[in-house]
Amino acid sequence: MPSSRSISLKLLLARHEVVLVLVILVEVVLFQLLGRNFLVGRNVSNVFRHSVEIGLLAVAMTPVILTGGIDLSVGSMMGLCAVLFGMMVNRLGMDPWFASLAVVGIGALGGGFNAVLITRLNLPPLIVTLGTFSLFRGLAEALTRGAESYSGFPPSFLALGNSDFAGIPAQVWIFIGVAVGIWLLVHRTTLGRSFRAIGFAPEGARYAGIPVARNTSIAYMIAGAVAGIAAVILVARLGEARANAGIGYELLAITAVVLGGVSIFGGSGTLAGTLLGWVALAILNNGLTRISDYRILEQPVASVARELSGLLTGLLLLTALSLGALTKTLAVRRARKQSLSDTSPNLVKS
Amino acid sequence: MKHKTLIAAVAVIATLPFISCSKSKSSSKITIALLPKSKGNQYFVTCEKGARAAAHELNAELKFDGPINSDPAKQNEIVENWITDGVDVIAAACENKDSISTALKKAQAAGIKVVTYDADANTDARSFFVNQATAQGIGEQLMDTAARLTGEEGEFAIITGTLTASNLNEWIKYIKERNAAKYPNMKLVDIKPCDDQKDKAQQEATNLLSAYPNLKAIIGVCSPAVPGTAEAVKQAGKAGAVKVLGLGLPSENKAYVKEGVTQAVILWNVEQLGYLSVMAGAAVAKGELVAGAKEFNAGKLGKIEVVGDNIVLGKPFVFTKENIDQFDF
Repeated sequence: MPSSRSISLKLLLARHEVVLVLVILVEVVLFQLLGRNFLVGRNVSNVFRHSVEIGLLAVAMTPVILTGGIDLSVGSMMGLCAVLFGMMVNRLGMDPWFASLAVVGIGALGGGFNAVLITRLNLPPLIVTLGTFSLFRGLAEALTRGAESYSGFPPSFLALGNSDFAGIPAQVWIFIGVAVGIWLLVHRTTLGRSFRAIGFAPEGARYAGIPVARNTSIAYMIAGAVAGIAAVILVARLGEARANAGIGYELLAITAVVLGGVSIFGGSGTLAGTLLGWVALAILNNGLTRISDYRILEQPVASVARELSGLLTGLLLLTALSLGALTKTLAVRRARKQSLSDTSPNLVKS
Repeated sequence: MKHKTLIAAVAVIATLPFISCSKSKSSSKITIALLPKSKGNQYFVTCEKGARAAAHELNAELKFDGPINSDPAKQNEIVENWITDGVDVIAAACENKDSISTALKKAQAAGIKVVTYDADANTDARSFFVNQATAQGIGEQLMDTAARLTGEEGEFAIITGTLTASNLNEWIKYIKERNAAKYPNMKLVDIKPCDDQKDKAQQEATNLLSAYPNLKAIIGVCSPAVPGTAEAVKQAGKAGAVKVLGLGLPSENKAYVKEGVTQAVILWNVEQLGYLSVMAGAAVAKGELVAGAKEFNAGKLGKIEVVGDNIVLGKPFVFTKENIDQFDF
């Protein structure tokens, strides 16, 4: 029966998020037991302060991946936006807040550039954004000749990256705003629903009258604009704008999205999953810095456990995905056993 | 599926007893955190070696952590984590001067003493900079070594990076001053740029050798110049007749030094730089080293001179055939 299938699928998705909540709880308990100063106000603030940029990219990457695409260029876009921001403020004497708006717009334009190549020329998103991955970073490096950097921003602007507002790091409020906005978009609007429809079956979506090219473009433009926001926040936190801002962040963002249970083929996934995936990674990375003299069976493994963060991130991702795939296979097998008479092989999506 | 989650949870908890880490921190011991530009770099690994020795002598706890990739935000995050841990001293080698200063100022606001080494931060973000070598020290050591190798007479030439590099020009200025003041029988005949490329340095050195047949020595003031020059001298069959010396890492030049083509590689003693950084940080924390001090006691290095807010390691070290094997950076 189609309807019972879709219910069991929903349960599966729900379970993935439950699994992530458990993972996060296990992390918190482990780091509190093994680490020093883990659950203290300052450190909890740091967990989020240091990962907001990646969180923003992950949240904005979610609609893109839901459409069956990918955006490898967001980290490079951060570098380009950071450099342009620095130039506008330092060289042209622009107001930092106005410059922030400008680079968010530039980010959206960059996303639009990706979108044009993907939707008009039908080039694969992986290839297009691999190209702009080099292009945007290269532009940032060329503009600064690889060496120049910009600093000396006014304290009122640096406060965005380094101060608290109502007890919470200032930039986290912006993150909450962006996350709520994208959640509403993905889960509460027809445009957002169309992302999943496009990812699930682009041809079907087209026949159903969805403006596939336009809606896909919107997803990429949002990703670019949010990369601009992330760049501004990173510059405010570091106090320096340089071409190497955001190096490698795109892969960390994709890791969070995929860990959150969003299908890399598009069509299924939730923003809540992405957020949980991001939190699980953020806690892992911070928690490991709380542990020093890491030993397994009395053998010193690493002077600082942070050196293991790559290893553990990889293990976490592969374990979570393998568990997901296993439970899915088992569920399908069980469903087959239960309803041998059911001949419809297609899963019907809501 | 409940069982699976349970099994996984049990498995995780079961591994707990095998994982241990030091949680306790005795309050009397001071904790010094040493931040390298990058953790895997042999140069900073050597710094750490010296730092460990200093921490051992001081009975202090040493934390050594730094970026392992090129993410420019990493140094700041490490400093912020140290603030959370309440370390007593941070000694930082700064990759991005302005951005790390943001974090170091936060550390100062939290009551942590900050010194820098190797590469300075903004001056208001630290109390002292442990300076590995002054321009004067480098220039004079290069000239003195060239004079010693050539018997204080004859023609010599310099291969530099670019003619516009301000630090290199500063060193060359002191080479010339020392030459004029102490070695009247030595004559600087030419200065050639190699664009910081070994190939170009080799080509320029070959040209110098044919243009000045009486050349006694070539000084390389940027690190690619020294092995490049050595290769040219070796191929010209003038090994030993034309002395090769200059600034560089011992590891890059080891082969030529052992063959007797390169006579001297000059660099500060990196292990001592790490040692001095920790000693300086501890002295600041204990109140033994305050603004305006002229010198301070740096353990086995003895009394070290303080010039303004710079703590100077002293004369650069000369690596030769005899001692180069003791160094692995």
